[in-house]
Amino acid sequence: MADGSGKFTFEFDGKPVEARPGDTVASALYRSGRRIFTRSFKYHRPRGLLCMAGKCPNCLVNVDGTPNVRSCVTPARNGMHVRRQNAFPSLDHDWLSGVQRFDWLMPVGWYYKTMTHEWSWHAAEPYIRKVAGLGVAPEPGKGSTDYEHEWRHAEVAVIGGGPAGLQAALELAQGGAQVTLVDDQSELGGHRRYRKSAGGVPSQLIAQLQSLSSVEIISRAHCFGLYEGNLLGVVQANPHAGAIERLIHLRAKRVVVATGAYEVPFPFENNDLPGIMLSTAVQRLIRLHDIKPGNQAVVVANGSQGDEVTADLREAGIELAGAVTPDQVLSALGSSHVAALRTKQGELACDLVVICGPRVPDGGLLHQAGAKMAWNEERGAFLPLGLPANVSAVGEVTGVWLAPAIPLPPRDLAFHKRSFVCMCNDVSTADLRDAISEGFDQIETLKRYTTLTMGPCQGRMCQLSGIGVCAHETGRSMGETGVTTSRPPNPSVSLGALAGPRHHPTRRTPMHYAHDESGAVWMDMGEWKRPRYYKSASAAAERACVEEEYRAVRERVGLIDVSTLGKLDVKGHDAGKLLDKVYTNRFSDLKPGRVRYSVLCDEAGIMLDDGTISRLAENHYFITTTTGNLDFVEQWLEWWLVGTGWDVHITNLTGGRGAVNLAGPKARDVLQALTACDLSTKAFPYMACREAEVAEVPALLLRIGFVGETGWEIHFPAEYGEHLWKKLLETGKSLDIRPFGVEAQRLLRLEKRHVIVGVDTDALSSPYDAGMAWVAKLDKADFIGRNALSRLAEAAPPQSLIGFIMNEDAIPQDGAAILVNGALAGRVTSSRYSPHQGKAVGLAWVTSASASAGAEIEIRVNGGTARARIVPDAFYDPAGDRLRM
Amino acid sequence: MSFLIPCPHCGNRSVYEFRFGGEVKQRPEAEAPAEEWMEYTYTKANESGVQKEWWYHRSGCRQWLQARRNTTTNEVLEAFFPQ
Repeated sequence: MADGSGKFTFEFDGKPVEARPGDTVASALYRSGRRIFTRSFKYHRPRGLLCMAGKCPNCLVNVDGTPNVRSCVTPARNGMHVRRQNAFPSLDHDWLSGVQRFDWLMPVGWYYKTMTHEWSWHAAEPYIRKVAGLGVAPEPGKGSTDYEHEWRHAEVAVIGGGPAGLQAALELAQGGAQVTLVDDQSELGGHRRYRKSAGGVPSQLIAQLQSLSSVEIISRAHCFGLYEGNLLGVVQANPHAGAIERLIHLRAKRVVVATGAYEVPFPFENNDLPGIMLSTAVQRLIRLHDIKPGNQAVVVANGSQGDEVTADLREAGIELAGAVTPDQVLSALGSSHVAALRTKQGELACDLVVICGPRVPDGGLLHQAGAKMAWNEERGAFLPLGLPANVSAVGEVTGVWLAPAIPLPPRDLAFHKRSFVCMCNDVSTADLRDAISEGFDQIETLKRYTTLTMGPCQGRMCQLSGIGVCAHETGRSMGETGVTTSRPPNPSVSLGALAGPRHHPTRRTPMHYAHDESGAVWMDMGEWKRPRYYKSASAAAERACVEEEYRAVRERVGLIDVSTLGKLDVKGHDAGKLLDKVYTNRFSDLKPGRVRYSVLCDEAGIMLDDGTISRLAENHYFITTTTGNLDFVEQWLEWWLVGTGWDVHITNLTGGRGAVNLAGPKARDVLQALTACDLSTKAFPYMACREAEVAEVPALLLRIGFVGETGWEIHFPAEYGEHLWKKLLETGKSLDIRPFGVEAQRLLRLEKRHVIVGVDTDALSSPYDAGMAWVAKLDKADFIGRNALSRLAEAAPPQSLIGFIMNEDAIPQDGAAILVNGALAGRVTSSRYSPHQGKAVGLAWVTSASASAGAEIEIRVNGGTARARIVPDAFYDPAGDRLRM
Repeated sequence: MSFLIPCPHCGNRSVYEFRFGGEVKQRPEAEAPAEEWMEYTYTKANESGVQKEWWYHRSGCRQWLQARRNTTTNEVLEAFFPQ
């Protein structure tokens, strides 16, 4: 717990660590004496703090189960659980650090050179995965989902809260603009927070900005991408308690990039030892966290570039063991921590090496936005040129105030396997030299072959040195060598932030809770929840429950919720004309009070959807679509209306109407008890529709028969759903009515050979090969797909949708392969055990040559084959008498 | 892909609010020769540059519109309701 001084503790690898207010995880660990923060990717070399700015890979830890968290910029919180990564048994004594002794066995392009047989990678991969790498992703389902997404809009977005960004934001706001300022630190001020000579934090400027209502400030948020239309990807850490990260989709009319410049190291032997730090990291530890980073320091700097940090070291009471220029440095000595720096003048004993490295303009966002990065000799940096409209840059990112820190390309470069360019993936100067000598001498191919710039730091630490080595080896200039392309995300972003919270929109039918009461077992259908079947008092297994429901429909009466059907109300003088144009069947001659089935095809004659269309009045139709295709059908109808000037109005009633299907030989008895409408076949024949009250609810009744029994599809205002559902069940109780689910419905329709478009058909199925030629009315003047269908009508289809009955007891799975004379001849689309036939039946695509009625086919079942025969008719009531009773 | 489409009804909106409806083409006459129908049904111009396209404002006004878009830069030059 926090005590009076504000101190608190968190856990690192199970041990308590004390932290002060303002501490990051890394600063608290460093103060507690920790020097090794990570073990490197390949060789398990010890690594310590390098940049203290969230730019390098050296301090990645696991925080509360989230891997690869940059500990140097993550605020320490009371009670957090921090763990090491990629080290066993501990960071200080990692058994696998012995791997580095065999680095000569791992030349550049090691995978390509050693994994030359198919089996070698399969054999080696599990071990490589265990030995190499960074953090470990949480197990499926175990990771935190406390991530948020937010959408924001700004007139101007200013990226970077340093002096330039602050000044730009203030001037823009004073000019009347609405400004959103994004800064990746916990406090504004940029380098002026830790560089004494820069004049201290501009608190007056910050106070002024904070007082303006037109300025919005987002702190602890890094901008990882600048996309088309000035969309900025921003990830904010810990936006509030209980949220790990928030992804902000920030859309701005204008973007001002003020990301400044950051310092990078340069290669020399053992340049990765803990205790070797960038000068800005040293300054941050001293100024921001009141930490003395070492006792004896060597400053590596050119000319006066080390003066500022030297003064800081003196003030912090650190002894100066020496000051050398970069070209004097030979190597660092030490095993788990730097102990001395070997220079051309001799060895300098020390526990801290301060590197005043080159400063790199943080221009990744500008590069992504389309700016060219051009080498500027005078600044020693690649600078952005040619900014797109509405994107501008201010401050150090433009190159102002920069001066070369080391000669680039380097003049005399030492090649060594432990002279690291890329800390993320352990790529050394020797690796780069070898890759170049093997022919990878262009910066983009060099990158891909060596993985340079491809680690968590995304090239921020290594790109400049890598280009330098490439230029040195190829004899080209820096500008000729060029930079690798910057792509988002830069820096890397956690997958959790991109995935966001787990929001699954769910749609429930009006009778949802009534199904729950009846013991529904649910299934997902798109966004909808539908009862798959209902748990029965007398049966436990799904198949037995489904069969009970099946028998209720075939022998007595059953009730199913079909509210998920798409429902479109189509009105207007030209409604019939539109339906004639879009559907394959004819509707303009349909009499009011009648229903007709149709499919809908595209111009290639492929079936896209099917459904029934009822004509309620002269200029009024009612369409049902399949559950998943509603949006498509509605948009398709609207599209064909564009520009016609026709009088048609389409209303989507799907959510506003509930629907049930009451079916079975006793369906009439149940329904007649609840309605005054005459349900006799004479007054209300098959394929007719009527508007009538059912249980005092205004309803539309369609006499149709998807399941193959006498039945009515009843559509009604959704708010009466539960009332009507319960009333129907109550009325049918004496007739032993049963609610039935999707699974029983699929079995019932399969026995009738009713096709489900999208299940039994695919993107190559026309009505002709599906055996539904009657649905295409080619004598209509024109309709969508007519041209293609009229051709298909004359050609023999290559495949046909057939029905089969098994000769044996096996039940094939949907998708099972079909063999004729031992050769592959098709596949099963739907198959179920048919209680009526006493054998499994199904639908399948087979080559037309094998599709003759009575022919025998073989179907793959459980690894073997089972025999079946092709039948021409429906498996149940082929004449359709039961529908018309 | 994150460009904006200036919907003539709703104003500048993210492309994610829209459904792409393909290139704008002229549907052949019912009895046009097979080549014309084949061209219309299967061939795409796939212009490298500005082309006229259908877009449906699914999460907005739910209307079909046409836009002239540069396919190499994703700049939408104009969007309008077809007459």
